[in-house]
Amino acid sequence: MNPVTSLKNNIEASEVRRFPGAELSGLAALFVLSLRQQTRGRKLLVLVLLYALPCALAIVLRSLSRPAPADILEFALIYGLVPHALAPLTALLYAGGMIQDEVEEQTLTYLLVRPLPRPALYVCKLLATLLLTTVLVTAATTALYLAIYWNTTEIWDGSITRRMVQTAGIMSLGQVGYCSLFGCLGVLTRRTLIAGVIYIVVVEGLLANLRFMVRSLTVVYYVRVLAIRWLDLPQQIFDRWQKDWGLSLDQIPDGNSCVLKLLGFGVAITLVAALGFSRREFRMKTPEGG
Amino acid sequence: MDPIPTCEVVGPAEVETVVEFRAVSKWYGNVIGLNKLSTRIPRGVIGLLGPNGAGKSTFLQLATGQLYPSQGAVRVLGQPVWNNPGINRFIGLCPEQDAFYEWMTGMDFVSTCARLNGMGRAKARAAAEKALGLVGMTPNMNRAIRGYSKGMRQRTKLAQALVHEPRVLFLDEPLSGTDPIARRDLIDVIRDMGAAGRSVLVSSHVLHEVQALTSNIVLLHRGRLVAEGNVREIRDLIDKHPHHIVLVCDRCRALASRLASCEDVDGIQFLDAESRLLVQTRKPDTFYARLPALSLEDGLAIREVYSEDDNLEAVFKYLVTK
Repeated sequence: MNPVTSLKNNIEASEVRRFPGAELSGLAALFVLSLRQQTRGRKLLVLVLLYALPCALAIVLRSLSRPAPADILEFALIYGLVPHALAPLTALLYAGGMIQDEVEEQTLTYLLVRPLPRPALYVCKLLATLLLTTVLVTAATTALYLAIYWNTTEIWDGSITRRMVQTAGIMSLGQVGYCSLFGCLGVLTRRTLIAGVIYIVVVEGLLANLRFMVRSLTVVYYVRVLAIRWLDLPQQIFDRWQKDWGLSLDQIPDGNSCVLKLLGFGVAITLVAALGFSRREFRMKTPEGG
Repeated sequence: MDPIPTCEVVGPAEVETVVEFRAVSKWYGNVIGLNKLSTRIPRGVIGLLGPNGAGKSTFLQLATGQLYPSQGAVRVLGQPVWNNPGINRFIGLCPEQDAFYEWMTGMDFVSTCARLNGMGRAKARAAAEKALGLVGMTPNMNRAIRGYSKGMRQRTKLAQALVHEPRVLFLDEPLSGTDPIARRDLIDVIRDMGAAGRSVLVSSHVLHEVQALTSNIVLLHRGRLVAEGNVREIRDLIDKHPHHIVLVCDRCRALASRLASCEDVDGIQFLDAESRLLVQTRKPDTFYARLPALSLEDGLAIREVYSEDDNLEAVFKYLVTK
């Protein structure tokens, strides 16, 4: 080999400058790719089956000779089971796995060698995940509302439709918190699933039900406050929900404050995760281990 | 297969550095991947050789900005690569791992990779068709990847690395597991890319594969740079190790007896029922210079002389196992 004589093949720093148009186009392709990836595989099937269970339970309980009260089922299933278990589980499966799945399937390489800034790559995948999980949770709550109220007159007078829309909005905000949190966990730890399940049980399950300030650190707390603030509930049901959750109107934050806190938390933790993602090395396993 | 388009090259066609490692070390906990490696990879097709675990994949992952060096600096085309997404427009990587979005077709996969590089939909599709044509995948490009043979998968991986027409290509074991036909085709494609002006760094642990591609090699062993350069120049570097030269003649015993008295001969071994002699020498030039006279001596008539050292396998053995 001849000695190296020059560096004339070098490119100028100006040549490697970023092209926002091309980057946006690349990120749009990544967004579509992420959605296509996540709408395949067993996760979606498992979640659909999981969502079908409370719907089936609601239909059975409403079909009995002495049907369970619809508002009790709404409280237990839509504002109990969904924000406590189904919504965080959905976020954990998708957001927690959005990077780790690519690492395990060794396809992350194809993304990392593209001219896309790493933080933007992470945020783009998170946004696709947030969109998908929001659609899933909205579909689940809508199905639950229909299963609970299908044989009532309320479903036709518009009040339930309004609550369905309001609930979709509240659950979407909840998904911002859950997805950003579990996305961050997926970047910072390899045991996302275990850490996530522990978080769901301990923090969103136990802490959220303690009537101390600490519950304001949970996503469930803000979902409940927003439900109290935004839903058009009959007075009797409104009072019962307040009492059961231990929330009084004069002590809880207003709706806008809740929205800002959830979004602010989501943005802050996403920035941390994006920074972590941009600094983390993802070593792909090779057959030879070289 | 379609012809390779030529690559616009900056500067004259003389030797130029495209990849530079400056005292690069990489540790994985207590395990060392690369050890204070310094090298400048020139333009053209270069073979990155080494046994399994030598650090070839670590080298390529550092060169493509997937890993950050624990020490030292890595530059490609004069630019740092870690967290420098702009440089990725100029480089392409064909990774070793046999990983794809299996549910996609080859066309879908390669055009998605093109779109990730910032191309619009129509341009990406045209670029993908062209890249798949180059690697001979046009007839199969609309089939799902999960049904591809190993050769087709390797070709598709190569196509995704080529789709944005990079200046520098990093190919990690591109011939691994391929059948002879795919191997021959891929070798032709890689050679053509070099001839078209692209810089190609091909890693392999199979020496004859690289020998078919280029005579310029970089040899790694246990994370260290063992040698770099032309095979023949590398041979000059290893003169301290004995060269193996095979002599074919009818009177091997007489020849062996004659050679035994020569100072430059370190060892003699009979091969194939005494029809050939394997001679070890540390002074190959002196030895080769003596051969014509020896052959003319009474009845010795050496019929054939060849050296296994012209084969990369021998160079590799010398440099790595000794």
